[in-house]
Amino acid sequence: MSEIAATPARIKRLIVESLNLEGMRPEMIEDEAPLFGEGLGLDSVDALELVVALEKEFGIRIKSQEIGREVFSSVSTLSEFIEGRT
Amino acid sequence: MREPVLVTGLGTLGAWGGGSDRLAVALAAGVPLTSEVDRSAGYHLPCGARRACLVPAGELAGWISPAESRRMSPPSKLAVAASRMALRCAGLADAEETGTAVTIATAFGPSTNTEALLKQILFEGPEAASPSLFMESVANAPAAQIAIALKARGASLTVCQREAGPLLALGTGGAEIAAGRTRRVLAGVVDEMTPLLHALLDRFGALARGDEEMARPFDRRRNGFLAGEGATVAVLEGESSVAARGGRALARLLAWGSAFDPTASPSGWGHGYQALARGLRRTLERAGLQPSDVDLVVSGASGARDGDRLEAEVLRAAWEGSPLPPVATPKAVTGEYGGGLLGAAVLAAAGAPLGPTPGFGEPDPELGIVPHDGSLLAPPTVVLATSLAAGGAAAWVVLGRGMG
Amino acid sequence: MRSQHPAGPVAVTGVGAVSGLGWGVAALWKGLRAGRGGIGPFDRFDHSRHRTHLAAEAGDPPPALARSIPGWRRLSIADRFAIFAVLEALGQAGLGAPFGDDAEAGVYFGSSTGGMYESELFFADFLRDPRRARLSALVAQQVNAPGDAVARHLGATGPVATFSSACASGALALGAALEAVRSGEVEVAITGGSDSLCQLTYAGFNALRSVDEVPCRPFRAGRAGMSFGEGAAVLVLEPLARALARGAAPLAVLAGAGSSCDAHHMTAPDPTGAGAAAAVAAALADAGLPPETIDFVNVHGTGTPLNDAAEWQALQRVFGERAGEMPLVATKALIGHLLGCSGAIEAVATVLCLHHGELHPVGRNGEEDPELPVALVLDEPLPLPGARAAVSTSLAFGGSNAALVFSRWTGAAP
Repeated sequence: MSEIAATPARIKRLIVESLNLEGMRPEMIEDEAPLFGEGLGLDSVDALELVVALEKEFGIRIKSQEIGREVFSSVSTLSEFIEGRT
Repeated sequence: MREPVLVTGLGTLGAWGGGSDRLAVALAAGVPLTSEVDRSAGYHLPCGARRACLVPAGELAGWISPAESRRMSPPSKLAVAASRMALRCAGLADAEETGTAVTIATAFGPSTNTEALLKQILFEGPEAASPSLFMESVANAPAAQIAIALKARGASLTVCQREAGPLLALGTGGAEIAAGRTRRVLAGVVDEMTPLLHALLDRFGALARGDEEMARPFDRRRNGFLAGEGATVAVLEGESSVAARGGRALARLLAWGSAFDPTASPSGWGHGYQALARGLRRTLERAGLQPSDVDLVVSGASGARDGDRLEAEVLRAAWEGSPLPPVATPKAVTGEYGGGLLGAAVLAAAGAPLGPTPGFGEPDPELGIVPHDGSLLAPPTVVLATSLAAGGAAAWVVLGRGMG
Repeated sequence: MRSQHPAGPVAVTGVGAVSGLGWGVAALWKGLRAGRGGIGPFDRFDHSRHRTHLAAEAGDPPPALARSIPGWRRLSIADRFAIFAVLEALGQAGLGAPFGDDAEAGVYFGSSTGGMYESELFFADFLRDPRRARLSALVAQQVNAPGDAVARHLGATGPVATFSSACASGALALGAALEAVRSGEVEVAITGGSDSLCQLTYAGFNALRSVDEVPCRPFRAGRAGMSFGEGAAVLVLEPLARALARGAAPLAVLAGAGSSCDAHHMTAPDPTGAGAAAAVAAALADAGLPPETIDFVNVHGTGTPLNDAAEWQALQRVFGERAGEMPLVATKALIGHLLGCSGAIEAVATVLCLHHGELHPVGRNGEEDPELPVALVLDEPLPLPGARAAVSTSLAFGGSNAALVFSRWTGAAP
């Protein structure tokens, strides 16, 4: 269980650190909140920046075709995707 | 019919802080504005240069928000801030005039991002390359960010021609208006001075050294220039659109021109002064002027040994033995960053006083030029700005008084 | 419209090129006409750890070239490309170096990375241990180095300017050169661009996931990005009247240039195509030609899903219902994306198509994209001997757009 709980927290930390989000703290991001468009207001370059950070943090390699709306819609969906890969 | 071009606004950031008023104060005082360069990365020679003309921290506040700039390179932030200052100076609001063109010079581009990206690629591996660092490593990132921030949808041109770039960018912008392709241009220059760049310039022997690290343009003891950074942007407008909105002009862009010295080495200055003097005279002729009409030369002389020698030879050859008008050398104050020169030229044409040349004490008999001593000058009618680049390029701009 | 410029119409009297299809225009046209791609495995640098593994790499230079150019050893690869292309173009134009006098000749160049490949070799040493690096390896590796090297080699004393607006650099340089000839600032303009493969751009565009794992497929279904290319391209411009007076044979007329900025996003194009359309409209207005006179378009066509879709929107804005029938030439499908040189080498391809009266194909038959119902020239060259004029587009990073209009030289004075 601790593994599962840790992944979202690690992702949130990466979002704040790698995307240089001023005034944002990891705990302010909700698991289910949309990351792109409406939610945090991130865009395609942020998604790719996050991909590089996720690859480094989790030691995985993410293919271009895998970078889609569904996987990157929230911290939860990202977490599920990462755990399926590690 | 060629549309006359006016300079209606000036925004500038540099070692003097933010704003053309502060640049004017610094130029009038004639004191170099240097601070310590961070040498902790180990790029520097132990005995090398230590100081540069750097933008003080905190100057961007109020001009660009952290959210807007979170992915921007340092030059992009400086360029957007200077553009907003320039528009405010011109009495123009952001985000109007969809056809505004942007012409920006940069000698070295976004160096912080390029260095960080190279480290990722070379040492962590190419897969570690950051997309947002790459996006902001291209030379035209500052011009593109100006366009995005201010909704400038006209031509976007980035000029890379070392020290000649700023005056080329001003001329390129002027040509857009003169040809009737746009009514308004944001024209200027941006460069950042990173510790790595500073160390490399010093290792090439380009920078002023010694206890004082003074630039000393045209002085017998000159031994290099002061590295500098910042952003300077001018608003250019066609005379008819300025008149239509009841705007005021700081200066009139009378002519611009450029030439090349093929005897220069890729990283230095050559001895082809005759060809450059012809280029200078041709530039004046485009405004129906000759050297004797020039009241003030705002020279790009920076304290570089060969660069200042060539500048002196070109000026003497262009004037064909006649006495030169006063020659001011703002880079002794602002450092070698073309925005100081560009800003000083516009301010001088607008009647701002220029102070003495810091570091000058011993005339160089080979050069035969004594730079401006700070004495009060009558407001000039015709100002010639000059800039000779390492590598061979040269550019000139002729400015006149804003009105009348 | 044309007579408004003091110098009158401006002719292209010589072209030169280096690309993944070889050194020289003959090799370029032969490959383009055959639809033979130059994109494949390459060995400029070790790309085993990069995300993709293809490029259109220029092979070794002709051996005689190195011996005939002073200081060859110290020139960057991009400088060498540029000097070769300039000498070829001047040879065809019947003009010779040195250009020593006055403002006769100006050099207007575009480059995205200049000597970055050589800089990477230097920094790989210097950033590890500054004591190990040879400083002389870093001399003149800046963006302006290729243009400067050309001017230095020719002994040119006229204006020299380098433009670096990413993938629009070459086209913007041509626009500046056109303006300089029209205004009488120079009698001859040597203009174009040069860029070599380097790790910075290779890793950067891969980080943006803008690179296809297979050779790029502009405007086709399943396209997944660009392919890298390298090389140089040069055009010699001069007033048509001057060219005819000295007995030169014009290849085409550079009728107009236009540029704009999306002011939308650093990497993504404005999906409406408004910015790109504005650049084309400005170029047509500059040429004094209505859209009806345009008989084909050399598209920017990078092969990335979003860029080609936005370009299709732009084509519809400019050409209306004709957009779907407009023959499109996609040069990048064969020689890859030459970045700062792409606008220049695609200008050369456009001139060659007009001059030879046929459009080169892309040479591969992927699937048609139902979203982009375009008339791309596919398997065979398309004969178009009566083509009057053509547009070439360059749509860059940062939303910087440029368009050029060339018209066919019919042999009759306008």
